[in-house]
Amino acid sequence: MPPRLLLRQQRVGPIAMSYFAIAYSLINSAGFPLIAGKTAAAQAAFGTQMQALAAQITWLLPLPQNPGTLGGFVQWRAYGFLAIVFPAWALLSAAGATRGDEGKGLVETWLASGLSRTRYLTARGAAFACVSGLALGAGGIATWIGGIVGSSPLDPARVLESSISLWALTLSCYGIALLLSQQTLTYRSAAGASACVLLVLFLLDSLQRSVSPSPLVGRFSVFSLNDRTTALAPSGQFDVAAVLILLAVALVTGTAAALAFQRRDLEAGLVRVRRHARTAHAPARNVLLGIPILRGLWQRRLSVAAWTAGASALAAFIVAIINGAAGLFTKTPSLQPFLRGLGGEVHVALLGLIWFALAQTLLSILAITYVWRWADEDTNGMLELQLSQPVSRVSVTFERAAELLVTLVVVTFVSSLVVMLVASANHITVGAGSMLLATVLLIPFALTFAAVGAVLAGFRPRLAVGVPATVSIASYLLFQLAPAFRWPAWVADLSVFQLYGTPLVQPVFVGGLVAMLVVVIAGFSVAGGLMLRREVGA
Amino acid sequence: MTGSGEVAIRAEGLTKDYGSGRGLFGLDLVVHRGETFGYLGPNGAGKSTTIRLLMGMIQATRGRASIFGLDCRRDAVEVKRHVGYVPGDVPQFGGLRGSEVVSYVGAMRGGVDSARVRELCEAFDLDLHRKFREYSRGNKQKLALVLALMNRPELLILDEPTSGLDPLNQQTFQELVRQATRDGATAFLSSHVLSEVEHICTRVGIIREGHLVGDRTLEELHELRFHTVEAEFTGPVPEEAVRSAAGVGDVRVEGSRLTCTVHGEFAPLLDALRQGHAVNLVSTEPSLESIFLAYYRGTQPDDAATSATT
Repeated sequence: MPPRLLLRQQRVGPIAMSYFAIAYSLINSAGFPLIAGKTAAAQAAFGTQMQALAAQITWLLPLPQNPGTLGGFVQWRAYGFLAIVFPAWALLSAAGATRGDEGKGLVETWLASGLSRTRYLTARGAAFACVSGLALGAGGIATWIGGIVGSSPLDPARVLESSISLWALTLSCYGIALLLSQQTLTYRSAAGASACVLLVLFLLDSLQRSVSPSPLVGRFSVFSLNDRTTALAPSGQFDVAAVLILLAVALVTGTAAALAFQRRDLEAGLVRVRRHARTAHAPARNVLLGIPILRGLWQRRLSVAAWTAGASALAAFIVAIINGAAGLFTKTPSLQPFLRGLGGEVHVALLGLIWFALAQTLLSILAITYVWRWADEDTNGMLELQLSQPVSRVSVTFERAAELLVTLVVVTFVSSLVVMLVASANHITVGAGSMLLATVLLIPFALTFAAVGAVLAGFRPRLAVGVPATVSIASYLLFQLAPAFRWPAWVADLSVFQLYGTPLVQPVFVGGLVAMLVVVIAGFSVAGGLMLRREVGA
Repeated sequence: MTGSGEVAIRAEGLTKDYGSGRGLFGLDLVVHRGETFGYLGPNGAGKSTTIRLLMGMIQATRGRASIFGLDCRRDAVEVKRHVGYVPGDVPQFGGLRGSEVVSYVGAMRGGVDSARVRELCEAFDLDLHRKFREYSRGNKQKLALVLALMNRPELLILDEPTSGLDPLNQQTFQELVRQATRDGATAFLSSHVLSEVEHICTRVGIIREGHLVGDRTLEELHELRFHTVEAEFTGPVPEEAVRSAAGVGDVRVEGSRLTCTVHGEFAPLLDALRQGHAVNLVSTEPSLESIFLAYYRGTQPDDAATSATT
């Protein structure tokens, strides 16, 4: 398999991730003096504020070491976040290298050309190791340059050490996803199964960071091993043993994946369930398949169940750590000003801030996966099939929207119910009215992304996923960075996340709600109009 | 014409211009109820474009198309109530079982006739218990045919319907189409295989580079068709006898080998060949493209054959 072809096969991911790593690292390192101040006193005060902020998101990022210094801040803010993004890329890439390309018939073509299965998988793994290394290297250089721009240069050796740890984490996640993909059948199921396992590993690490005493099991997470390297922070460390373990995990899982690939059939799982020989010549008696909206949901039942279970588990986890976070806030004098700024009862305020911010992110991703499916239906012939039946084009658009709406209602309400139950078990009192309001508002929020995606799917299906995903990421960054960089309020308001507000502790942001509803109604109306005009299967 | 006279499909100046000479240009066509219309042409000729225009999947640049008097674009929903459709590419139903796919599509058409589905599945030997992604290419095509035929539509629009089917199932398909037309249905099917169209169609349209270059009955098609024959002799080659045989042309002799083309009956050529001692005889059917070139440009075919017998 020619290296040029391998790199070309993976060109979009590396380019996008390199840009992201460079931009995100540069913003954090070069922007540090702007947001932290240039005097030692200002930076110390900033460090205290960041400690307060970090204490409430230990489920997401590890606690920082000296965030009042450039090294400590970048290690926490930049490398901590990249440690989430790069594993996500790794799992998508591994699922694509196996089930994605298998589904397209590319793997069969390459194997038919005389390439051995081991060489194929080794080549794909090596190519990913190269491109992920280059992307992280570019991010590392950007971090170093950012330090020089900000007049507080970082030690390049320290930057390299942090990058190496992150690279090892990325490769271990790639290996795990590669192994899991051997049992699944499609790209989506491979990505979904890998995401579930990596999420569990991530949550184990979160649990270790957030609960005292930390459970032993959390130390076995690959994310915990990466946390042990804090090379950029003053008095931080580069844990060589942890990095070697991560690389060993990558090697072992990659080898196991290669062995599994040798033993299994193409387009089949490693373990095949033998079924009783049974033939059928009659249609299924499933009445759900005959009811609009429910017929689509039936086809996505596993996905809906997985999203509901995942969101509920995450909600339960977040609520379980609220008491610990609240305790930290109330016992730490330096955090009191921040506590007062939250408004409302501390547990409820933290719940609103942590869970509902995460829920927004999750639901925007859920909406984007639906958009992905809609765009895909044009190329896989499903849209052509639907339109070859006596159904109107507009009804197809609105049935899609209704399927997503029902899914969102199920996921949000079940997870909010779990929040209420776990909160009650942890003696946290949450008002049912405000909880209902916060839950309901998540739905137009997620539909906003879907409406934008539906419009794009109508005339540029290739952009239908990328644009809403970019809007989601940009919104998140605006939401996070605007206060820190003291950007004008109107800039912060460009974030879709701002439209949601904090309804659990503050009154509903009516302007935001109206804006979301306008986008949803206008978006799906335009999508319906575009559906009338679009050419299918051309 | 075997149709009843009522128009099932009408295209008037139907044009879809993709630019650079690609697309469909000025198609004027009428298919009557009860006809089985074969739409022949090489890859990229415009067959699928025509079918997608009829199905209202794409918009015409110019002209109009109607099915049973209903505009294919404006009355698309009503048109679909009368049509059973097999697309060129089978939709990907993923993890659904065949039986679920049948129920899903059937419900969109207002219900499923279980007895009809059973009859079709038994005819094609298609197991609906299996998941779609586990189906072979041929089984996926069979499922697409079941979906198109299960509601006994008045009009069948089939884009290369036998693609991926083995010869036995091709025969089953042909019999089902004959049965449907006997029951009053109309069929419009595209293909690039001449022999397939010959077996079931009553009329044939030939499309080339986006233009309908011929609209013939089956009898006229037989005249269009020819074979290339190559014979090898141990003794003298009966060249003169072959040249004078009826329907034989383009006779060439190289050493002990004779090649010629035959239009229509083989008997005159065989009589002529008996005047020599033939040790090898090969008859080949030229590709459709060669026949088009020969027929519409007045040249002789010279490229590869699509089938051979010795």
